[in-house]
Amino acid sequence: MMPPDVGVVATDVAWRVGYRWILKNISLTVAAGTVTLLVGGNGSGKTSLLRVLAGLARPAKGSVSCQGGVGFVAHHSMLYDSLTGRENLAFITRLDGGHAPARVDALLKQMGLERAADQRMGTYSRGMTQRLAIARALLSDPGVLLLDEPLTGLDEAAAQIVVEVIKQRRQDGHAIIVASHQLVELMECATDIGFLVSGKLAAWEPVNGRDAGAVMQRLRDLVADG
Amino acid sequence: MVAMRVPSCSGFGIWWQMANGFFAVAGAIAIKDLAVEWRTKTALVSSLVFAILVLAILYFARDATAVSAFEVAPGVLWVTFTFAGMLGLNRAFLLERENHALDGLRLTSATPHAIFLGKMIGNAVFVGLVQLVSLPLFILFYNVPIWNRLPVLVLVMAMATLAFVSVGTLLSAMVVRTRFSEVMLPVLLLPFLVPPIVSAVQVTWRILADRPMAEMTGWLSLLGAFDVIFFILSIMLFEAIITE
Repeated sequence: MMPPDVGVVATDVAWRVGYRWILKNISLTVAAGTVTLLVGGNGSGKTSLLRVLAGLARPAKGSVSCQGGVGFVAHHSMLYDSLTGRENLAFITRLDGGHAPARVDALLKQMGLERAADQRMGTYSRGMTQRLAIARALLSDPGVLLLDEPLTGLDEAAAQIVVEVIKQRRQDGHAIIVASHQLVELMECATDIGFLVSGKLAAWEPVNGRDAGAVMQRLRDLVADG
Repeated sequence: MVAMRVPSCSGFGIWWQMANGFFAVAGAIAIKDLAVEWRTKTALVSSLVFAILVLAILYFARDATAVSAFEVAPGVLWVTFTFAGMLGLNRAFLLERENHALDGLRLTSATPHAIFLGKMIGNAVFVGLVQLVSLPLFILFYNVPIWNRLPVLVLVMAMATLAFVSVGTLLSAMVVRTRFSEVMLPVLLLPFLVPPIVSAVQVTWRILADRPMAEMTGWLSLLGAFDVIFFILSIMLFEAIITE
């Protein structure tokens, strides 16, 4: 049983593809009401770690526990081009055992998609698709929200909507982990930073007023240290 | 709308709610698949065109003075159903590969068993639609007297379809992550389909020949056994297939 103030606990997690270890003995605890930025170079294991935490990839070693369910926004929308935005969200609520049109409408409005709600997702721009994917992740009001490059392809206004969602979730006491290269926009809502280097969690530190440049410098130092 | 009242505290009530939720999820997945197919019509159109072409080509390829329609009809019918249906099976999980939608399904509280059943029902309805269009054409082309035995033929079609979509749904989930899934599915699926299709052909032949029902029961039992085995094995193995 996890304490109520803890969102995610991962213990000694390792994951591999074939004989290649992608994640190496990662242990972390993410408190509820915090936003952790996962920072690392390409191939450092950010996406793999989020997939393991979401339960989409089974770790070869170790264990993962999440409090209150997981919402996951990945590189792909995980939705259907031929369905409308509203139909996509309604379908997911049905799979979660419910029928909540009011919740669907509220999320479409929150994401600025109410006017496009009855258009097929295939006609959406990249930014609209990304916002619909975030709405999908929030449908079940999960205790843990995992976001993989959530600002990719978003214009300034759309990015601000996503940042506001992250801030709101943090205030509501949910745990959030964001993997992103776009640190400037996300630093204002982050509380902690996890540095991933070659599949290892090299450091896990509070933000402590640092800006994006200082975070990138810290990452470069950790990479240099190996 | 009819609401069913269910005792909420009893053990039966809990089981009822679980079963209700299970079938609601499976139904939602099947309806979603059919809605997407109805909007795109990619697999449906290609399957129907394929079925019509096969029926027509095999009809005209036959020397009517040497080979009676009755002799080739059962084989033609099941070749048509099998290959036209396979086009639809391929589509079932290609749809989930688009935008990595299968990951989205796995992130919900839907159980793998419910996902499998939903995909299987969607496939069964799809194959049923292809059969619904192909059967009248088959009767028209081959002029076979089956009207008085139609219920038995529909029964054997339903039984063979169950075996077909059970193992077909499982294998299409397996091959969808491979680079040549369209080629791999028939290669893997056809060996499994030989026993149920042979049974179906044997029963169909006897239906067309107006043989007594007693001659068919053995083949129907065999077909039923394959239905049970294929369904149970497929639904049990599905979770391992979709888990990384």
